[in-house]
Amino acid sequence: MGIRMSCDTGGTFTDLAVATDHEIRIFKSLTTPHDPGEGILNAITLAAEHFGQDRADLLARVHSFMHATTRSLNAVLTGNVAKTVFLTTKGHPDVLVIREGGRSDPFNYSVPYPSPYIPRAQTFEIDERIGPDGAIIEALNEASVCDALAKAKSIGAEAIGVCLMWSISNGAHEQRIGQLIEEVLPGVPYTLSHELNPTLREYRRASAACMDASLKPTMQTYLGNLKSRLTGAGFKGRLLMVTSQGGVMDADAVVGSPIHALNSGPAMAPVAGRFYAKRDAKSQIAIVADTGGTSYDVSIVRNGRIPRTKETWIGQPFQGHMTGFPSVDVTSVGAGGGSIAWVDEGGLLHVGPQSAGSTPGPVSYGRGGSLPTVTDCAVILGYLDPRFFLGGKMVLDLENARKALDVNVASKLGVSVEEAALAVMALTTEKMVGAIEEISVNQGVDASSAALIGGGGAGGLNAVAVGQRLGCRSVLVPETGATLSAVGALMSDLYGEFTMIRYMSSAGFDAVAAADVIAELKGRCQTFIDTYGQGAVSTSIEIAVEARYPKQVWEIEIAVPDEDLSKAEALAQLVQAFHAEHRTLFQISDDQSGIEIIAWRAYVRCKLQNEAEHQPIVVETAEHDLRRPIYLAGKGWTEVDVRRFDEMTPGEALAGPAIVESAVTTVVIDPGATAQRSAGGGLVVQL
Amino acid sequence: MTKTDSQSGVQMAILASRIDAIARKMANTLFRTARSGVLNSGHDFSCVVLTADCRLIAGAVSLPAHVMAGPDEIARYVSEMHPVLKRGDAFLHNSPYHGNSHAADHCLVVPVIDDEGIHRYTVLAKAHQADCGNSKPTTYIGDAEDVYQEGALIFPAVQIQSDYKDIGDVIRMCQARIRVPDIWWGDYLASLGAVRIGEHELLNLGKEVGWEKLAQHVEDWFDYSERRITAAIGRLNSGTAIVSSMHDPFPGAPDGIPVDVKVTVDAVAGRIEVDLRDNPDCLPCGLNLTEGTSRSAALVGIFNALGDHTIPANAGSFRRLTVHLRENCVVGIPRHPFSCSVATTNLADRVASPVQVAIAQISPGFGMAEGGPIFPPAGGVISGRDPRRDNTVYVNQVHLGITGGPATPHQDGWLTLIHVGNAGLCRHDCVEVDELSYPITVWERRILTDTAGAGKFRGAPSVRVEFGPAEGASLKVFYNADGMINAAQGAVGGLSGAPTGALKRMEDGSLEAQPACTGVALSAKERIISISSGGGGYGQPAERDEALVVGDVREGYFSREKAAELFGVILGEDGGVDRTATDNARRALLA
Repeated sequence: MGIRMSCDTGGTFTDLAVATDHEIRIFKSLTTPHDPGEGILNAITLAAEHFGQDRADLLARVHSFMHATTRSLNAVLTGNVAKTVFLTTKGHPDVLVIREGGRSDPFNYSVPYPSPYIPRAQTFEIDERIGPDGAIIEALNEASVCDALAKAKSIGAEAIGVCLMWSISNGAHEQRIGQLIEEVLPGVPYTLSHELNPTLREYRRASAACMDASLKPTMQTYLGNLKSRLTGAGFKGRLLMVTSQGGVMDADAVVGSPIHALNSGPAMAPVAGRFYAKRDAKSQIAIVADTGGTSYDVSIVRNGRIPRTKETWIGQPFQGHMTGFPSVDVTSVGAGGGSIAWVDEGGLLHVGPQSAGSTPGPVSYGRGGSLPTVTDCAVILGYLDPRFFLGGKMVLDLENARKALDVNVASKLGVSVEEAALAVMALTTEKMVGAIEEISVNQGVDASSAALIGGGGAGGLNAVAVGQRLGCRSVLVPETGATLSAVGALMSDLYGEFTMIRYMSSAGFDAVAAADVIAELKGRCQTFIDTYGQGAVSTSIEIAVEARYPKQVWEIEIAVPDEDLSKAEALAQLVQAFHAEHRTLFQISDDQSGIEIIAWRAYVRCKLQNEAEHQPIVVETAEHDLRRPIYLAGKGWTEVDVRRFDEMTPGEALAGPAIVESAVTTVVIDPGATAQRSAGGGLVVQL
Repeated sequence: MTKTDSQSGVQMAILASRIDAIARKMANTLFRTARSGVLNSGHDFSCVVLTADCRLIAGAVSLPAHVMAGPDEIARYVSEMHPVLKRGDAFLHNSPYHGNSHAADHCLVVPVIDDEGIHRYTVLAKAHQADCGNSKPTTYIGDAEDVYQEGALIFPAVQIQSDYKDIGDVIRMCQARIRVPDIWWGDYLASLGAVRIGEHELLNLGKEVGWEKLAQHVEDWFDYSERRITAAIGRLNSGTAIVSSMHDPFPGAPDGIPVDVKVTVDAVAGRIEVDLRDNPDCLPCGLNLTEGTSRSAALVGIFNALGDHTIPANAGSFRRLTVHLRENCVVGIPRHPFSCSVATTNLADRVASPVQVAIAQISPGFGMAEGGPIFPPAGGVISGRDPRRDNTVYVNQVHLGITGGPATPHQDGWLTLIHVGNAGLCRHDCVEVDELSYPITVWERRILTDTAGAGKFRGAPSVRVEFGPAEGASLKVFYNADGMINAAQGAVGGLSGAPTGALKRMEDGSLEAQPACTGVALSAKERIISISSGGGGYGQPAERDEALVVGDVREGYFSREKAAELFGVILGEDGGVDRTATDNARRALLA
């Protein structure tokens, strides 16, 4: 068997996971923003050195290379994308300006109203109108299309997003516009909203179409370059991109609709989390938390499934953009290792939302940071050993961290530096708990029945505290906690999904139409398997509906238990499944009511590897002390046991207070908790 | 600061965030499960936590007009009417004469009773209904002479649950007198889910933290909030300003309704007073404010003007603010049976906006301009029968396009603000969702050029919305529009926004102006055109950053002509700035 590699290019580090026949190894290299390919090749060089091989020889053995990058996300956030034109239905030029309204904070008038993703000056109206039932109310005036395309040409358009009212009910007008673009502006990439993202709500569809179009030139260049760099270095295998939905897609397919890769980073943590929850915590419900430098990302695994949402904001809620594109449901708060602690004029302590990020970074990194961060507090409290950070690759500056916290927090609160640091950790824990409560309410998950999985470099510092506060069943810190995303990519399936809008109520159910829709969707899935599924160990197709009670507007997704909906009991089963899911999510259901189906969806998965074959992961360990003092609430400085991940034998219990470390992770075991290493290798903490 | 204070400060930050999270959980439940568009799309609801003695603690993501004042009075009234509160009780309340905003806002009030039977907190969810049994199919009857003509079912602290079980009598009354009983029932369940989740969470919090400690924290939190607002007021100038505003002529008020707002800032003492007593008596129309909305509107104006959104809006910060009201005053305490059917919007804005302007006058660099008056037809209540669904009745408020954001000292007006009372927290409808839900077609939704109040920072521009019945349907649109005559004023040299407009497009395409307060019936080929008012500007237009003016012209917010006339920015053929001409024009404007 050959080698599989996955690579997660983050803001600071490029993580590389290499899976050989019998193990997974992790390598970290600095990200090189001017040329991300260089950072990737550097990481591969580290791997080649480790294996004692020539880089070209190693790459030649790699049959699949999975890649996650924040490149397209950053391009969208900074507006560094192709000059894109938006074509819209006559009378509705301001779809992207008005959006869906909404604002987050009633008295915060310091935030400017967001600019539309495509300026009004690059928006052109098309004479046409389709109704909700797909009927053509006004025929397409092709002259208005040609006129718009002439204007697009004159302003130098590099891409075109097309979204017409009700194209989801009748795509003919959008399709004709696509043909005209190919005739009039050959070579200019375009996206039709009903093809990309057939979802109700014109703003989301328009936003997705324009974003997708605007990324096509950028991602084509980026992936083209990456592929030629890798090929030039000896790679002969398949290049796969991680998608926002928690799967992978062939890079060539991503060039065709790059929006799929937009939120790829946070989508992978739950894929890894699902595996670890099952392996180590024997739990069907897991809360997966990934602590980064600036944010804390939380996702959920429910009965082995990873819930998705169509309401992910790119940027801040009501200030960024919403695409209505399904992606893994992730809630983020500004609470990471780099979050800054400060005290306001009323004497209240705050953590974040400002972050020192990776530049200048925490004070203790000694790279110019002067404001105290969560990481600095962890150093002050003795959680992080200043001499052995990143396996000793970086020495942390304790003295300056103390000074910064004293000046900015402790003296203002009138407490000792240690007490101030404890307060910062406690407040950080509380913010993290808030994020978890938000998503678990949204997903109807009871935290007390869940295992909390702490990932990310700083994830172990208060994962146990968060778990205790939530009353979780247990806390699990995987041995690869610091690189959950890269490891998740190795475990993910080749994935595609198809949606059709077909309104149907359970009262007036049209079984023949339903059968047609399901057959059509399955056909598309089969084409996907035929095109991309070579080398898969197994394939599966799943049919689901988006449904709601009459007059509700937020649909929930229900897997169709029995696809033969011509049988009365199959329909009844579906309605029952809806009631049950509504109860899970919202505590109430309306059992006498029928339901309305808005959309039909098919998921196709091609498994690239059997789960049982996930290799154990080897993590390098560093020198460290066996005991050291840490500062505990109510006790002060206390000598505690310090153990290494790899030296703990499965079954051996370590009672808190204690510290468990590896080169990439430090786990604080609070008093009252007990840690054990699982047979698989992760650290399971009973609370 | 003493050590005890600071340690409670740390605890306080944590517990404040937990109580806030409870209010958020309540709100999320209501939003996701509600049946009516005004809730599940429009987000026209609020969820709050109060102390047992009826002081507001937290109202995350709530509409300021709903919660700044009102929930406190409602909770007090519930306690008076029901001296013995038990776990499992729930009360339905919508009486405008006892603290509520208007009859269309149904509140569910639940006391949080601990295991010893002690009343610790109160949770309240307030939700705008699709229909509240009014005499006409709208939740805002502007021309109602009194509450009898208004026709709403009034529930003054009426018990609707006992021991967690519905009291069927009340449910049946609602179902018998509300036009869309199934939607009312679904929305009742959604509100009930919200208050029960709030109750459950507070009981857990009290058990975990200890009731006494939690109570102490709440007092600390109030003290902290008071310190914060005192500091913020200390940054203003001291002084008094009287600002006058005028609601357009309306049924029951043929000459319009003048509103004088007297604001006194005492920066040294850290106090602000708003006096609304020198205003007309209650009027025979639906515009009379309630005690809750009068007070809320004044408080909204103050919080908007302070320019620091991080000050918690709760009973602690309110200690520094005094609002003087008079009984039987159109912007004061209503006298039964005068109608308060439209008490959350029109005159409420005529209170909040002048407060903002007054503070801008006293302390340039603070305050805000006036927001665009509402409600144009695009925010009206639509009703009729849906031929696609067996001619079933539909009635609901839409939010198709209302802008109005006033300019502030540091930013342009927020485009989709609607008005400062809901502060943009209410959403705008998706055209497709509305067309799917009701038999209507939305033909146009377009921002209009040269409609924003000019200024160093400009107001939000107007939006024009044209809609009508879908094929085979009929449609009636009720609305109560202010601002057709009296547009939003600017502040500190800023100019007024464009006026509100309402027009009917007849079958032959001709346009017919519509009155301020009406219900427009539209036949199959007719349409209504709604124009929202623009927000006022802040500061001298000639001081506006040149690049922003160029951007406004490029994006169609201002024409080249107005850029030259109002802002003194002269653009050449290529869209670039004509340096000499611009310098001269701006100097002349500022001279």
